[in-house]
Amino acid sequence: MFKDLFGNFFGRQGSREVAKKRLKFALVYDKLEVSDDLLNDLQRDVVEVISKYFEVDTSAMKLDIKRSDDLSALVLNTPILSAKRR
Amino acid sequence: MEGKIIVVTSGKGGVGKTTATACIGAAMAMQGKQVVVIDMDIGLRNLDVVMGLENRIVFNIVDVVKGRCKIKQAAIKDRRIDNLFLIPASQSDNKDSLTPEDIIRLSKSLRGRFDYIFMDCPAGIERGFENAVAAADEALVVCTPEVSSIRDADRIIGLLYAKSITPKLIVNRIVPEMVARGDMLSHEDVVEVLSIDLIGLVKMDDKVVVATNTGLPLVLQKDSEAGNAFHRIAQRLNGQPNLPIENSDNGKGFWRSLGRKLRRRN
Ligand SMILES: Nc1ncnc2c1ncn2[C@@H]1O[C@H](COP(=O)(O)OP(=O)(O)OP(=O)(O)O)[C@@H](O)[C@H]1O
Ligand SMILES: [Mg+2]
Repeated sequence: MFKDLFGNFFGRQGSREVAKKRLKFALVYDKLEVSDDLLNDLQRDVVEVISKYFEVDTSAMKLDIKRSDDLSALVLNTPILSAKRR
Repeated sequence: MEGKIIVVTSGKGGVGKTTATACIGAAMAMQGKQVVVIDMDIGLRNLDVVMGLENRIVFNIVDVVKGRCKIKQAAIKDRRIDNLFLIPASQSDNKDSLTPEDIIRLSKSLRGRFDYIFMDCPAGIERGFENAVAAADEALVVCTPEVSSIRDADRIIGLLYAKSITPKLIVNRIVPEMVARGDMLSHEDVVEVLSIDLIGLVKMDDKVVVATNTGLPLVLQKDSEAGNAFHRIAQRLNGQPNLPIENSDNGKGFWRSLGRKLRRRN
């Protein structure tokens, strides 16, 4: 990827195309960033919904954003104590 | 009279917000509208010097909000352009001296008195920004064709959408020669990346610096390309949304021929 960037940079294409590629990448990446506040609010709401169906250990619950090169995933881990009879 | 409040903002500093506010405000007044431009950069006022009105300041926006004077007393009348007024920022206070609620309260009387109220927003996304956008009906986002400026513009656009404002974009400080040789993002690139509506294109123009040096309004200089671009932005804002952004009688449709040239290269 870096070879690509520098190849363009020194090649005929000019820095304009490099700028555009970097920008697009930066904007997508910026929008994947999630604030702690938002994550905490989400966890509170998720607990509320799950608790309607399951007895869960809320203290052991963990909500996280997992990032890899090409995607971001929301990962929820929660021990279930029991299902609620309805 | 029910005036419109338009905030001029950018996120990044030094991209041309104050220049744009002064020029669009003046151009709008020249179209016969009652206009006030308000410097919301509390503590770092500059709109007054850019407009050449710095030696006529008596009261400022903080005085108005705190009830120490009337709007009429704080609004400095430009003697060269009819219907144009400036309410300067206070230099001794800081951004926390005002709250968004203060501005919303003040906006009612501003709307009753003027057709257009332009707010010159400070850089950043903190209290100064919150104050400047608090009562805004519309927003103009200024950016330059540079990566950092466009990224900050994207952030600001997101914040404006969250306030149910759909902003329009001004690309400032374009150097056509650099775009042509592939070393500057074109306005098409910028619009593609930000995906918002464009309202104006302003070239890099030495006359902007000269106008700021002298305090003489850029929009009164007939041969300034940047000045003309700001006139067109004011016209597009003021009931002529379909006026072409690019001035075709200027250099035989320079922008358009540049666009053609680029398309041929790609
Ligand atoms: N089209 C242009 N051509 C040449 N110079 C320009 C142009 N637009 C702005 N400038 C210059 O760029 C500098 C910054 O402009 P300005 O003060 O309007 O930016 P700003 O966004 O208000 O800055 P701040 O964030 O500090 O308030 C000034 O020196 C101004 O003269
Ligand atoms: Mg400024």
